[in-house]
Amino acid sequence: MPGNPGSINQANVDLFKAKAKPASIEVVVVKDLKAALDYAIEVTEKTELGKLMPTTPGLSPPDDPNRKKTLAAPSISDEHFKLLSQKGEAKGFEMVRSKLRNHLAGIDVAFTVADLGISETATCVSENNSEDYRLATMICETHVLALPMNKLVKTSYEAEDFLIKAMDKDNNYTSFISGPSRTADIERVLTLGVHGPLYMHVALLEE
Amino acid sequence: MAESMKSYHNSLKEALDDSFLRKTLDKFAVQYKANRAMIFADMNAKELISEIADNKDQAMLHIEALYQQFVEQASKKGVHVHRARTAQEANDIICAIAKENNVRTIIKSKSMTAEEIHLNHSLEAAKMIVNETDLGEWIIQLRHEGPTHMVMPAIHLSRYQVADTFEDATKSKQDSDIEKLVKVARRELRVHFAGSDMGISGANFAIASNGSIGICTNEGNGRLTTTLPRVHVAICGIDKLVPSIKDALRIIRVLPRNATAQAITTYVSWITGASECTLNDDQKKIIHVVFLDNGRIDLLKDPKCREVLRCVRCGACANVCPVYRLVGGHRMGYVYIGAIGLILTYFFHGHDRAKNLVQNCIGCEACKDICAAGIDLPGIIQEVRARLNEEEGSPITSTLLAKVMANRPLFHTLLKFGKFAQRPVTSGNFVRHLPTIFAGDQSFRALPAIASRSFRDRWPSLETASQGSVKIGLFAGCAQDFIYPEQLESAVRLISAKGGAVDFPLQQSCCGLPLQMMGERKAAIQTAKANVDAFESAKVDHIMTLCASCANHMKEHYTELTGDDPSYKEKTAQYLSKIIDFSSLMKNVFKFSKDDFNNQGQKVAYHSPCHLCRGLGVTQEPRALINMAGEYVPTPEEDVCCGFGGTYSVKFPEISGTLLAHKLDGIEESEAKPKLLVTDCPGCVMQLRGGEHKRSDRVKVQHISEFLDLNLKKK
Ligand code: SF4
Ligand code: SF4
Repeated sequence: MPGNPGSINQANVDLFKAKAKPASIEVVVVKDLKAALDYAIEVTEKTELGKLMPTTPGLSPPDDPNRKKTLAAPSISDEHFKLLSQKGEAKGFEMVRSKLRNHLAGIDVAFTVADLGISETATCVSENNSEDYRLATMICETHVLALPMNKLVKTSYEAEDFLIKAMDKDNNYTSFISGPSRTADIERVLTLGVHGPLYMHVALLEE
Repeated sequence: MAESMKSYHNSLKEALDDSFLRKTLDKFAVQYKANRAMIFADMNAKELISEIADNKDQAMLHIEALYQQFVEQASKKGVHVHRARTAQEANDIICAIAKENNVRTIIKSKSMTAEEIHLNHSLEAAKMIVNETDLGEWIIQLRHEGPTHMVMPAIHLSRYQVADTFEDATKSKQDSDIEKLVKVARRELRVHFAGSDMGISGANFAIASNGSIGICTNEGNGRLTTTLPRVHVAICGIDKLVPSIKDALRIIRVLPRNATAQAITTYVSWITGASECTLNDDQKKIIHVVFLDNGRIDLLKDPKCREVLRCVRCGACANVCPVYRLVGGHRMGYVYIGAIGLILTYFFHGHDRAKNLVQNCIGCEACKDICAAGIDLPGIIQEVRARLNEEEGSPITSTLLAKVMANRPLFHTLLKFGKFAQRPVTSGNFVRHLPTIFAGDQSFRALPAIASRSFRDRWPSLETASQGSVKIGLFAGCAQDFIYPEQLESAVRLISAKGGAVDFPLQQSCCGLPLQMMGERKAAIQTAKANVDAFESAKVDHIMTLCASCANHMKEHYTELTGDDPSYKEKTAQYLSKIIDFSSLMKNVFKFSKDDFNNQGQKVAYHSPCHLCRGLGVTQEPRALINMAGEYVPTPEEDVCCGFGGTYSVKFPEISGTLLAHKLDGIEESEAKPKLLVTDCPGCVMQLRGGEHKRSDRVKVQHISEFLDLNLKKK
């Protein structure tokens, strides 16, 4: 059952990993959320400094070679953000937690936590009524998602209960994300990162 | 404005000459099929599709209740719900929303419904700036073109054309590297995303139980369009209403798999109520949902065509259509493309626009076989033709033919007369010069001559048993009776070799498929009844056809065609239950085996007739039989239409000829280089043999009955 702590279905974990590959998702297994934060730092460190884009007509992108890498984590707890910030700032990253609208030119990495995973399609499900959550995960070049293993279900039908609860609310935006943004609109050649992330990582949490 | 048939033919010619388009669509057609098979490998696609069909049908029956429930739920949560009866009304509603919210700039994520009502025109006329954000849509918007595929709207364009378009749009030099082009779009469109007041999206489904909508995209432009601007308008057909989340999940399971052979689209956004938007004072999105009727509710009341409302817009019916593959979307639809496009153009965009388009279906059933919602697309295309005929009067040739064919003795007399008339013009078994009544250029194939003695004339002198283990009734079909009687004679010999008895009721007529294809309903009914009557008194165990098209047409349509007369109910059911195709009869009833044949190991290619493999679902039997008397060698795309399609090949010789050439090239160039091609439909024999005759008969073409008969061990 989704959300039943402690019960990890290894078959679902394996299936998720297998289905992540064709979806261009990089999967790692880490111990817990704290370890996932470390992973986000590691990924940010390794990524190339993203190219910013103009967001206002007529303005060219800020071309500052000394620009800091940005790491946004809009939806994690105060405690976890503090932890992440300490590590990020030590590495010289700009840490962002809110007002993502001020960053539409792009950020380097976004870190978020998924509420549920669907193994059959390597899908991360999250309630993201928060505008910042949605924006961070669209304007980043790399999206790192933490997904607790015990929240993996096999098929989308098993996500029904979760969705019913979410959509019962007055205001809700729930997203299925199953890889980086992709297009095949030019000559049917698969190209990643058309509007959203170019890369997606999922850190599966053992606990 | 109605396009003339002549100018339609001209545009077909143009498309056929577009080598980029041809290459792209050929490659796509082949890859799509292989990828789709893979993505459905671990699930039961047929079952899933029939669930979708049932659920959509149920939803349609309760559409008003679903709509009420959606309105109630969504309004409670702060969504403004509108219902537009016509395209104009929908445009007005959306323009009014824009004005009311002081909107100047708009971004759109892909919506076929918005295309259907030409929303951009209306918004632009109201002085709004509109930018498409789906990459393909944006490209064609910049080029002022319509889409050529429902899922991949710019599939007809090369990277070089896209680079040129982007050069014009950005006023700077662009590389033709695809990755770089995609980056250009990302950069340019991000500016529009950031600066727009309103986002317009479609919706793949609207869930009544909680007033939510769902949007599937791969690019993520749907998620940005519904997140960044302060106002969001979703527009969808009223047919997108489903009762519950489970129904939506089911659609998501099949839609991306069928559309692009993906397990799921990268993004699915489920939107309920007014989600957070920091641009508005109350921190909430201004959200409107517009349901479009535009003829859908009338369609609901149309029992013959209403199943088109099941469509989930996966685009697969174009992906597998052999005609689409040759001519692309601009000639195979208007806004909606492919088989569903031919139909929806008639219902949504007027009869004038549809009238040439609906003729351009060869009836191969590939679309029906693949449809995510199990819609009988070719059947509905025929129905639309019939309606157009009724509205506008049939073309004279079609009326004449209908009259003649409904009258069996007259038809058969004419066929016999035809044999004398053609004498001076035949050479061997082919017609040397075609009478000029045939439209268009038929030079791509030789046409067969009418046999000097029809099967019905030969029948009395054939040696057959009237008593036996099983009694087989022969349904001859026109082609075999009058053109290829030897194929029937072969079948009779094979049946007799296994001790079967044979009967041939002489009152039988044409199966009526050509009439159905031309939309000549009345005549189709008369021939159906004549055939049911003809076999009623002959006490046979099976009714065998050598023509899959006849069998398929009878099975598909006779119940409905004879349905107006209750006295036919029982006998039609009896008749249909006895119909069997030649290969199934030989393999499964007479249990032919290797021991029955002299097998010289001859390499044999097989062409899988549309109406046999898809219509009747027979695929293994003919190949197994070939292997008994020779060596079956696989050749490319065996189940793609040969281009015959009955009267289609006369109406659209340019397409029929190209399909034929593709088929024969594939066989001649295949690794095994077979010198014999076998098939089990006389129409396909006619087409393939006619084509090979023009190529100096490099490959011999036989009906499977002839092939087996030739290799049968003499006892
Ligand atoms: S029946 Fe064949 S030719 Fe006609 S629309 Fe369907 S796929 Fe195309
Ligand atoms: S008619 Fe069927 S195959 Fe064609 S787009 Fe609709 S659902 Fe897909």
